[in-house]
Amino acid sequence: MNSWLHRSVVANGQTPSPGPPRLKTTPAAVHPLPQGGEGRATGIGITALGLVLVALAMASAAPAADVADCDLVSGWEQKGAARHFTPDNLYEYLDGAAEGYILYGLVQMQGVTCQSGRHSISIDVFVMNDAEAAYGVFTSNLDPHAPIEKLGMGGQVLLQRALFCKDKYYLELAVNSVNDRSAALRAFVLEAEKRIPGRSTPPAALSWFPDAKLASVRLIPESVLGLRLLKRGFVAHYEQGQAFVVVEDSPASAASVLSQLRQRFGDAGPAQVADEAFQTDDQYLGGLCMFRKGRYLGGFANMPDAKGAATQAAALAEHIPEK
Amino acid sequence: MKPNTSRREFLHAGLTLPVAGLASSAAFGKATVLSRSSSPVATTPKLTYRTLGKTGLKVTAVGFGCMITSDASVIERASDLGINYFDTARGYQHGNNERMVGAALKKRRKDLILASKSDGRTKASLLADLDTSLRELGTDYLDVWFLHGRDRTSDVSDEMFETQQLAKQQGKIRFTGLSTHKPTVMVPFLVEKRAVDVVLSIYNFTMDKGMTEAVEQAGNAGMGVVAMKVMAGGFRPGTPRHAFYPQLTREGALLAALKWVLKNPQVNTTIPSMTDHDQLDENLKAMAGPFTETEEKLLAAHLERIAPLYCRMCGDCEGTCAKGLPVADLLRYLTYAEGYGQFALGREHFLALPAEFTSVRCQNCLSCTVNCPCGVNVSSRLTRAQELFA
Repeated sequence: MNSWLHRSVVANGQTPSPGPPRLKTTPAAVHPLPQGGEGRATGIGITALGLVLVALAMASAAPAADVADCDLVSGWEQKGAARHFTPDNLYEYLDGAAEGYILYGLVQMQGVTCQSGRHSISIDVFVMNDAEAAYGVFTSNLDPHAPIEKLGMGGQVLLQRALFCKDKYYLELAVNSVNDRSAALRAFVLEAEKRIPGRSTPPAALSWFPDAKLASVRLIPESVLGLRLLKRGFVAHYEQGQAFVVVEDSPASAASVLSQLRQRFGDAGPAQVADEAFQTDDQYLGGLCMFRKGRYLGGFANMPDAKGAATQAAALAEHIPEK
Repeated sequence: MKPNTSRREFLHAGLTLPVAGLASSAAFGKATVLSRSSSPVATTPKLTYRTLGKTGLKVTAVGFGCMITSDASVIERASDLGINYFDTARGYQHGNNERMVGAALKKRRKDLILASKSDGRTKASLLADLDTSLRELGTDYLDVWFLHGRDRTSDVSDEMFETQQLAKQQGKIRFTGLSTHKPTVMVPFLVEKRAVDVVLSIYNFTMDKGMTEAVEQAGNAGMGVVAMKVMAGGFRPGTPRHAFYPQLTREGALLAALKWVLKNPQVNTTIPSMTDHDQLDENLKAMAGPFTETEEKLLAAHLERIAPLYCRMCGDCEGTCAKGLPVADLLRYLTYAEGYGQFALGREHFLALPAEFTSVRCQNCLSCTVNCPCGVNVSSRLTRAQELFA
């Protein structure tokens, strides 16, 4: 085991460095479509905003172009034209799987195919809205049976493919071989990581989930536990059951969501966890306990009974910060 | 919601489903046991079945696209409620989706129609994908196995079709299929080749009649027709046109869009993506009644609203710009800014154009020589792009 990040696959008692909570509860801001006579004013406003954003865009695009580069490792040459896709045409490259990237907040993708002798490696750099989105799409694509290595915020180098994320960049590399090409993949990944500036610490929420019998943690972009009220958050899978954490904008909005959830589970009873909580047994979510701690919503589901879920939820609540 | 009279009558009469073995008594029994459920809906939905072309499979008109579903409970509950067609693919989330779908459906596999897809381009890669799919899904056969995302005739070969037939002979699949975003290209080819049993095609109310003709051609040839992207993609938050999403949800346009697809009898089933129980409950309503005049007006109004603004990127612009502007590209950049909220990306692309293009101002032209067959006001939209980006 070569990484403290491995805790998100197999609990080992180590704890990642806590960073600022970066969970968001709503999708990225959207410019509304123009409405009637507001067009010019909106245009001026957006143009002014654009002067700021364009600098940010240049900053985000530059690493993508730097990394989607066969010169990362000597002896490799670009084969064919570079690829560039956006949310509206990514399906041309990834078919239906594209939606999985878009849902997490894809901004654009740049890629190249590199060749060395008979071997090829494709490098695809997905620029996401933010680092959390990059980590989220990484968790949705990783191999749950393989360890997570400390490559950027997290990565995996497998026999025929590699994936890792750093800051708001998520990378996928793949070879055209059925043999073990992990050495070549690792060489590219290590160089790519050097060229990407920014955040290397995974989301702080990973450290909140109790370690015991933890199997994996994923960022769910919408409808956590299949419940629309739980808009976006982390879900940890355990040997038995699953836990979640969702961040609301304020304690009041979290309380409102919890109240609506409790109404949804009509026969839920109270539970003594954090600021307020309820527990119930659900046909599909099993033994279930949901709680609020400040602006955080959390809980355990799919436990044998509600009491067990409440016990586990209490352990989760202890790790969640007060604010 | 209307009670499920037809289903209850079915049960009370002691009948089986149209094709024996498609739904077990256990499935029926669970469908109404929802008093302690994560869904507030406690009624039994009305289900309608259609025949999937010459396969003879009886499928619910509303199926389940599992691609972006993250919680198995939604899929499990859908199967309990009677939905019997589930779609995934080897490539979704690098296999994680198949694993989740398999776990969710393992209890009633034999009652369900399970479809997956392969991106493989050779016999070896296709068969390797198939074996992996079977293992991850926890089953020893797929009901339909699709060649995934083939939009050009050059994307398929006799070897691929022969591999599908081999898999069928081996009992690993029951029927063959092909998925495409270009049915106008692929359906005529498939019909002529008699290559597959089922076609999975994009199809929704924003599309021109050529798409409907392709669907009808497939149906008339006896191919099963499964429709995807039935809610036009942009109906979801986070995808194109998401600025409209709250309004569309409020107006019932999502359900209307699904019912629009179902009103075409050549469409045998649909695979809307569903991430939560609310979406599932909403989509089930599409089988409860016909597409109404009110819904038709709703979609027409929506089309009218987006038509002058929304470039479908069909590439069918009529005429060329007198100044040589790459019209489709400029409209796409505008979509980045206004549809996705990615102003910087749109401007970045605009500024990458040659100066001879970025300096053009459409308002200086007396008339526009480019016309959009879908109704986009080209001159107005290009002016808007120039205001924003130049």
